Amino acid sequence: MVSGVMTPELHVASASAVEVANGARALTAAATAIRVDDVSMTYTVGRKGKRTVLQNISLEIEEGECVVLLGETGCGKSTLLRMLLGQEPPTSGSITVAGKPVERVDSRSGYVPQRYSLFPDRTVLENLCMGPETSKAHIFGRLMPGFRAFRKTVRAEAMRQLEHMGLHASDAAKYPHQLSGGMQQRVAIAQALMMKSRVLLMDEAFSALDPATRASLQRLLRSVWSETKPTIVFVTHNTAEALFLGTRVIVLRRESREDSCGSRVALDMKLPAAGMSLHRNGKEFLDLVEYIESFSRGDHQKVSSDGDDRDGSAFEAETTTVFPLDGETL
Amino acid sequence: MANLSPFEIQARPNRLLMQAASCMLFVICMGLYMQTSVRRHHENPEDRVVPSLTQLAAGIHASVLEPAEEDDYIPADNASKWERFKHSMIVKDTISSGRRFLISLALLIPAVVLALHIGLYPWFGAFFMRFVLFFDKIVALSLLPILFIVFGIEEWSKIALIVIGVAPTMILDVTQMVKAVPQEQIVKAFTLDANNFDVAYRVVSRQIMPQVINSLRLNLKPMMLFLFAGEMIAASDGLAYRIAIMRRHMGMDVILPYVLWVALLLFLIDFSLRTLNRRMHPWFQA
Repeated sequence: MVSGVMTPELHVASASAVEVANGARALTAAATAIRVDDVSMTYTVGRKGKRTVLQNISLEIEEGECVVLLGETGCGKSTLLRMLLGQEPPTSGSITVAGKPVERVDSRSGYVPQRYSLFPDRTVLENLCMGPETSKAHIFGRLMPGFRAFRKTVRAEAMRQLEHMGLHASDAAKYPHQLSGGMQQRVAIAQALMMKSRVLLMDEAFSALDPATRASLQRLLRSVWSETKPTIVFVTHNTAEALFLGTRVIVLRRESREDSCGSRVALDMKLPAAGMSLHRNGKEFLDLVEYIESFSRGDHQKVSSDGDDRDGSAFEAETTTVFPLDGETL
Repeated sequence: MANLSPFEIQARPNRLLMQAASCMLFVICMGLYMQTSVRRHHENPEDRVVPSLTQLAAGIHASVLEPAEEDDYIPADNASKWERFKHSMIVKDTISSGRRFLISLALLIPAVVLALHIGLYPWFGAFFMRFVLFFDKIVALSLLPILFIVFGIEEWSKIALIVIGVAPTMILDVTQMVKAVPQEQIVKAFTLDANNFDVAYRVVSRQIMPQVINSLRLNLKPMMLFLFAGEMIAASDGLAYRIAIMRRHMGMDVILPYVLWVALLLFLIDFSLRTLNRRMHPWFQA
């Protein structure tokens, strides 16, 4: 439990230890989807000022993991996601997604932002078909003879995907502004899935939704993940959402408020693959939420010492039973 | 009982009253005009400053069915009305003004494309933006003498005046629209394997098109203004040329119909652009 604070060397060391322990199976299963190598990000503010947002972040995300990035507002979790996308280059360090270094935004990863996730000038069906159609034929490829037949198959696939996301076939001809926020995000996820990319980056994708819609979209995302096991990086500030969706939680935290001090990884922890919820896990869930949030507030030392004073052993025992993977907890 | 106080924000007048109120100023203006006209004609039956209805009718007849003074065309005695209309003064002037207007409109299309690139591609922005900002501040009419020297006093100097007057504003406006397209949309398009041209012409330009048309609608008036300035100073035909010529011998009976005709033309262009915009972009939320 105490090894929650991660240093890069420790991570690499323990990862290789696991690989050795599990033998060849681990070697094939644990292909690295995203590798973040000692990345820092510094912005220039004004004429001379500099503000470091991220500092020496190193992460290794395996194929099929659902990683949730947590942290307080302004801790740089969205910046990290933008760097994974290729939207912003890191000041130092390197990022590799799907085996190749990231230099610009491309179709390696799917993207679902919080807002403006759909093209407002296209109907739902056109939004869904846009990815495959653009990828096959850019501007002039549309004039090629095979394009009509290709478009037909893409449309059929889009309709299937649409129904899979819980929308009606009659929604296909609607424009995004005619759909509710939850529906729009469903279409946005479908749009990203149409590209069949193995990495899905989601930036506060459900944060603008009301709680009921949010819960149904969380269930949807979980079922999508368990079907095809893409690698998901999900940015949120909601710890309960993180525990429900994630197989691994990463908490970013800035140690001091000074501009020279960027956020580091404060906690990197694996979760059971089944997903946790208050409904299913009750007290343990609440304790874990409290535990994780103490890291993002930065008062985890105090909490753990309090725990040791009162019922620390009980807490430890509980968490070990909840986490059969506790040995792997980083 | 409807509240009839004009200073009541929460008043709820019914439709009929609203319609009546909106026609009121037109009726008052026409009434004042008629009254002035009748009074002046009472004093001097030959008055040309405020023409009477018969004079106006004669003026309209002359401009719609008779050739311009400077034309050599003499209609045959048995020429049909359509034949006379085709060679009339107002048709000749409208065609020559309209030609200049449409050519400059067409020349604005490359300006919009340039603006799309300036807003989207950092290198284009770096190269052009500062120059356009500077150029926008030059008063186009002050360039008119230079344009006359460079292009001569023929068609192209007038067209160049319109384009130089309107294009920089239009470019800056469209650049702002391009920059206002959410970054998410562009990133999303790239994750859908779009290339640079797809993003520029199939994502961004489609999204800003309704705003571009609206901006064009606002710029119709300045375009007309520059056209009229050019025509009044140096032209041998055109709507503004006719108005300027008629002023010399107090031809108010022709000037007034011309002014209203230009207003109607502008209204029709604006209306058709607005209708086109609504039809073509049902998704656009004003």
